Amino acid sequence: MISLVVGFPLVYSLWMSFADVNLLRTTGLALEISGLRIPFFRYVGVQNYARLLADPLYWDSFWRTAYFVGAFVVETTVVGLGMALVLQERFLGRPVMRSLLLIPWSLSRVVVGLLWIGLLDVEFGALNGLLYKAGLIDSYISFLKSGFSALNVLVSVYMWNQAPFATLLLLAGMQSIPTELYMAAEADGAGYWQRLRYVTLPALRGILFLVLVVSTVNGFLMLDLIYMLTMGGPANETTTISWLGFQTAFQFFKFGPGTAILYTLTVLCLILTVVYHKVVFRKLEAEEV
Amino acid sequence: MMPGAIKRRASRALVYTLLVGVVLWLVGPFIWLFVTSISYQRNLLARPLALIPPEITLDNYRMVLGMLRFHAEGQAAKILPSMLNSLVVAAAVTLVNLAVGTTAGYAYARFRVPLKAFSLFALLFTRMLPTVVLIPAYFLLFKALGLQNTLTGLVLAYCSFTLPFTVWIMKAYFETIPADLDKSALVDGCNRLQAYYRVVLPVSGPGLVAAGAFTFMLCWNEFIVAQILNTKLGMTTLPPVIAGMNAQINIDYSVIAASGFLAALPAVLLVLGFQRYLVQGLTAGSVKG
Repeated sequence: MISLVVGFPLVYSLWMSFADVNLLRTTGLALEISGLRIPFFRYVGVQNYARLLADPLYWDSFWRTAYFVGAFVVETTVVGLGMALVLQERFLGRPVMRSLLLIPWSLSRVVVGLLWIGLLDVEFGALNGLLYKAGLIDSYISFLKSGFSALNVLVSVYMWNQAPFATLLLLAGMQSIPTELYMAAEADGAGYWQRLRYVTLPALRGILFLVLVVSTVNGFLMLDLIYMLTMGGPANETTTISWLGFQTAFQFFKFGPGTAILYTLTVLCLILTVVYHKVVFRKLEAEEV
Repeated sequence: MMPGAIKRRASRALVYTLLVGVVLWLVGPFIWLFVTSISYQRNLLARPLALIPPEITLDNYRMVLGMLRFHAEGQAAKILPSMLNSLVVAAAVTLVNLAVGTTAGYAYARFRVPLKAFSLFALLFTRMLPTVVLIPAYFLLFKALGLQNTLTGLVLAYCSFTLPFTVWIMKAYFETIPADLDKSALVDGCNRLQAYYRVVLPVSGPGLVAAGAFTFMLCWNEFIVAQILNTKLGMTTLPPVIAGMNAQINIDYSVIAASGFLAALPAVLLVLGFQRYLVQGLTAGSVKG
């Protein structure tokens, strides 16, 4: 059943990426089941893909996506690990802290975008307000006005939303490290950083890899925050591949080229799935031995 | 002895300083959303900005809930109905997931499913797949089926991308339950189905709660699919309505913040309420967030 619900739309979208989809002219070849009419449109071969690969806008978005994903993965891993290391320490109210981790993660990205507008806006942003009060700036900064700064804002806001989940995974991993290892390391005179380097990090290798793969995929797919914060602008400077595909398909209603763009993304995700799958199953086999 | 004690005290101080930083980072933005939602816009625009609002008002909430007339009341009047839509859709999808996804998860955990390796890979792939790539297909299919702008259509679309998560989480959960439990039930005269719902399901509470809460949260927060498939105001869920208000220049941020806070609260409360199960279930199934 699942394969039907997901499989059919997936194949139908793939077909569209090879077709000239005109939403106003749905006559011609069609699949008809008991009065239901699913149009097939005109097959145009690889034309959509060929045009795409010749389009400089696609390649601009491609490299921008590469930067976005790279920055997002690094920020998520570093901040996620940093928070996990802080929360792993012994302190009062540790259980409460773990709940707080779930707050940014449980919010709708619409709300995430909304609340960061409240912090960064050029007229009423609280961060601007704070910097102004501290005398660090003379006038409010427009964080989303320049393309590069807007792109980095998107990375950080998405990281705010996603890093807590990485922290949760890493904390779970840290708890399964036997305390004896730390005691042995301490007996050998290892300091905090040495214990981190030689005990904690090697034990977390699997989870860190998982965090890397998952945040790479999430980075490629991010769409809703772009919608809320920049709409791909200014002047396409925050247009990633997923936004370009979304825009082409649903703002200009060019389903053919739109699905072609989104399919290039799907292929990337397929490759990442293969990598992830290999590692997960290698781990399973290792456990069975 | 002395330098050791000083060093220990210094490291305690460092831990608590870092903790304060982490707490501010995680919760500060969310609290600020609440503060803006009970402030007047004019106070948010004031320079220097007062972090503790000089006046507190519930007017924003009264506007959003239709108790106070204002210029964008037509749009604000859609908040409550779309909240109800969100609730209906999320609840329906959760029920389908628990019924279908759980059973499929059990099958994966216990039986030799034909093409098991391949279908597990397919499952993993659908989890990593960009959902947007399916939307053009849904768009045309739902148009043919007359499901555009209906809650049924949205439920169908959401099931297709939440089911793989549920199956994955439940599969991981059932694998932690010893297979001997089912076997002894079989010995006692139950058939497979009875063993499943009389013996295995009752001890699967935590897994069910995790899968259910996670599914509900995903649907409650979902934006892009609802935005494209259900464009008619009044037939869509809450996130598109809030995004629509945000795109309009003549609505005060404080009013949108109030609706954003109303959208955030159920998800946050749900996740905090079930956090113990969620963290367990999600780290076991290591899901993408």
